[in-house]
Order: sequence, then C-alpha cells, then structure tokens
Amino acid sequence: MLVEIRELKLNLGSHAVLRNVNLTLEKGQVYGLLGPNGAGKSTTISVVTGLRAPTAGSVSVLGLDPATDPIQLHRRIGVLAEQAGFYDWMSASDYLRWVAGLYRITLSKAEIASQLERVGLEGRSPASIATYSRGMRQRLGLARALINQPELLILDEPTNGLDPRGRREIHDVLLDLSANHGVGILLCTHLLDDVDRLCTRIGIIAQGQTILEGAIADLLSDQNAAVRYRLRVEPGETPDRLPADVTLRARAGDWWHVEVSSHIDPASAWRKLLDAGVRIDEIHREGGGLEDLYMAVTEAKEAA
Amino acid sequence: MNPIALIARKESGELLMSGRGLAWLLALSVIMSVLSLLLVSNTELSLLDNAQVVYMVMGTVTALGALLAVVLGSDTVAGERERGSLMPLMLAPVTPSQIVFGKMGGQVAGWAVMYLLSLPYVWAVGSSGQNLAQAVVYLALFGTPVVLGFGFLGIGLSARLRSVRSALLTSLITLMLLASPLLLGPSLRQSTIGKFFDAVNPFSAAVNTFDSVVIDSQPLAMQFTRLAVTLVWLALTTAFAIRSVRKMEI
Repeated sequence: MLVEIRELKLNLGSHAVLRNVNLTLEKGQVYGLLGPNGAGKSTTISVVTGLRAPTAGSVSVLGLDPATDPIQLHRRIGVLAEQAGFYDWMSASDYLRWVAGLYRITLSKAEIASQLERVGLEGRSPASIATYSRGMRQRLGLARALINQPELLILDEPTNGLDPRGRREIHDVLLDLSANHGVGILLCTHLLDDVDRLCTRIGIIAQGQTILEGAIADLLSDQNAAVRYRLRVEPGETPDRLPADVTLRARAGDWWHVEVSSHIDPASAWRKLLDAGVRIDEIHREGGGLEDLYMAVTEAKEAA
Repeated sequence: MNPIALIARKESGELLMSGRGLAWLLALSVIMSVLSLLLVSNTELSLLDNAQVVYMVMGTVTALGALLAVVLGSDTVAGERERGSLMPLMLAPVTPSQIVFGKMGGQVAGWAVMYLLSLPYVWAVGSSGQNLAQAVVYLALFGTPVVLGFGFLGIGLSARLRSVRSALLTSLITLMLLASPLLLGPSLRQSTIGKFFDAVNPFSAAVNTFDSVVIDSQPLAMQFTRLAVTLVWLALTTAFAIRSVRKMEI
C-alpha cells in the first residue's frame, strides 16, 4: 500500500478542517481525490506530504509517517502543487538541474533534455521561465515532480491551463507512469474528464469528510449511475431493437438520447446494438456516470 | 552539492542577476559617489578632518547594508510564498534549517558584494589619512554582524508574517528604532535611557566603534564589549530566523 489514511482529523485552531478522511492507494493505481472547493482536498495533500501534522488518525505514506519522517518521504515522492511557482530568471534546464541538486541527483544535459521532452517542452530549454505560458509552467511543474523518479506522484490540478492536446499528452505520460512503471498517482482535480480517463479509484471529500471511496466501476454500479449518450443512427432506424441495458430517453430525428446501465460496459452495449442490426454513425457521451454520482453524493452531503 | 550551498547560490544569483539587485547596486554606487564627492570637498575646504569623513562613510555603508539586508530578508520566504515557489522547496528533501542557512548565504553574498563595492569609496576619502586600514577591517568586523543580523531578522519576520509588505514594514521600523539613537543629540545620548540604548543597540555599538577606532584611534581591546553586543544581536536574529522557518506552515 502506497498511501493509507484512516480516520484523519486536523484542527486549525478551534476549526476542524478535516473530520474523517480515509484513503487507500496502491502501487500503479491512479486515485482521484474529488470534492467541492474548500472540502479539504489540498489540506489532505498537505498532511500526506508532511507539511502539516494530523490532529488524530493514522497516515502512512510509502510505509513512513509523513509528520515524523518528511525528508525521507520527500526523497521518494513527486508533487505538483496547484500554484506551481518557479524562479523565472532561470531557464528550464538550469531550474531542473538545480532542483535535481536538492535531491543530490546529478543530471547530464541529455537527461535534462529527455525530462523536458517527456512533458512536451523539448526545444524550450534555453528560454527563461519568465517567457513560459501557464500550460508550459504546468508541464515544467510535472517535469520537476518527476525529477527523482518518484514511487508516488501527487498532482493538484495537473492539467490546469493546458489545451486539449496538452491534456492528452499529460494523460499519456501519467498512464505510462502508472501502468508501466508502477507509480501510484494521487490526483486532485475538478475535471471529471481527467478522472474518467485516468483513475481507477476515487474518494470524494465534502466538509472535511470522506463521503464516498472505492473503485469507480463498483461505485457507479452500486449507485446505479447510468451513463448518458447521444447516438446518430441511419435514417429510418427505429428504437424497438434496443437491448435491455440501453434505455431511450429522447429522440430528435436521427439523434437518439440514451442511457446505458452502469452494470455493463458501454462497448458491449454498442456491440449488442450493432448485432441487432441498428446502424450507428456517431456516439457522443453526454454526461451521467461519474458526474451524476459526484453531484448526487455532494448535494446529499450539503443537504444533510 | 550540499543543499545549503545550492540554495545560497540560487539566492546570490537572484540578487546579482535580477534587475532589482543590479538596480540596488547602481543606486548604491550613485549614493556613495555623491557622498564621497561631498565629503572630499569638505575635507579640501578643511570643514571636516579626514578621520571624520572616513567615519561617516563607514556609518553610511553599514546603514545602507542594513537597509539592503531587510529588503532582501523580507522577501526571502514571504516573497517565495507569494510567487508559489516556496512549496516546491519545502517538498524537496531539505530541512527547514538548510533552507534558512541557504537563504542566509544569499544575504552574506549580498553584503560581501556591497562591502567590496564600498572599498573604493573608503579608499577615496581615507587614502590621505592614517586610518584607512582600520576602516576596512572594522567595517568588516562590526558591519558584518549588524547587517547580517538585520537580514536574518527580515527572514524570520518574512516566515512568520507570511507577507512581504508586513515583513518589510516591521523590519524597517525595527531598523529605524535601532538607528534612532544616532539621530538624537549628544545631550540625550548622555541621559540614562540614551546610555542604556547605546549599550544594547547593535547599530550604536558598530557606529560608536567606528568613532572610537577611526577618530579616537583606540585599540581593539577597548571594543570587545561592543563586539559582543553585535555578536549577540547576530546570534539572536539567527535563532529567530531558524525558529521561524521551522514553525512555518504552507
């Protein structure tokens, strides 16, 4: 287990910021930490990274207690904070070399170029960081977080400021790290698209408490959170051949608005449709699933 | 390379390569040039003797050094926090003590550059007198703990107050308070309160030493108490800076 948090509580003064946070993250897993603004996500990360000591509960990260052994922990983790600041007068390569020095790692020019290339900043190394756009700073922040080849990567809004192509490239880097290098990733984000694409497990925090935690597939199935799609079918198709797991919600000309039960994989639903002879031209996801699940549990918590 | 040396190198680079640092050094050169010209003119007109002129230059360099130190010190932690670069530093495998000692290294580099820059001016006003060597040595011996102490006070306040503006304001007020006895007239300085203030004030200790050594030609043996005051000041501000950074939260 890379991260194990049990009944974490944190008071700042007389204010209880975290009241009962639970989280488990295993090697090679991508964990999405979700929640409304001010729910306690960033505070949880500050406890996980050893910047704050918990008031109560147990926190184990890579088998270490972050509050008592932060230096050992920092050697083995990489963090991209939401506010990724740099020394703007340095170039990216000088900056990465400087950061590597803090980890007592000596990087050659080729290794630095490779790190920059990995995050899509190739050819930009001589320019000063002051000339970088927000998206480029995010990429450099990721390169910084990866400088020590971490076993655990903690990312706070890593795709902020990135264009769609940049987001996809960063997703690919993260998926490669988790799938091929066994890196555990704790991803704190508001972008459910990122969670959908990257995460296998999520935890939702609201008002300092974990209100839902588990594997995404299990949670969707448990909550019966159907996923909505928009299909464009060939003219003249009729919905009477829809399989049982796919429900028609609305129809506008050749466009069908359907819901696919959370119990089945959407790909198998489309196969059933095609097998039944329905000719589909386009499939667009419309929502539901994780988004509906998130809305349902956070609204229920607010109402409580 | 040791993290302390790395952080110190970064701090020095930031000071010497940034527009702000270069502007400060240019301003210092202009101030010292104008002051030296005025003082040399006064010497030529026999309005001031050579020793008084050297004493005034030493006091001015120390005051400007302290001013630079509080400006730099106030920015070290709070400025990094405001620019978002503090968190990555705190998440690196570096202890708070290493961070604070590294930042102190930057302060030492800033003062070293300023001291070296001031030497031609000390020479320009003091080369025709008898106390040039003492001026150079005592400026280093007494100016260094006073200036660095103000820098470390700035670092500590910067870590505690979490805002560059608040830290700078508090440091400047402290600097003005400690420098205020120098602005008092001789009669007030002879009062009980004035004497007490002079006795415990590191700024007064340095300036009174410059007076004693350069104008009155008194030996080092008579300056030990004042040296102790400046060293205690340096020790207290160092402890304050380290404690403040250790207790710091993001």
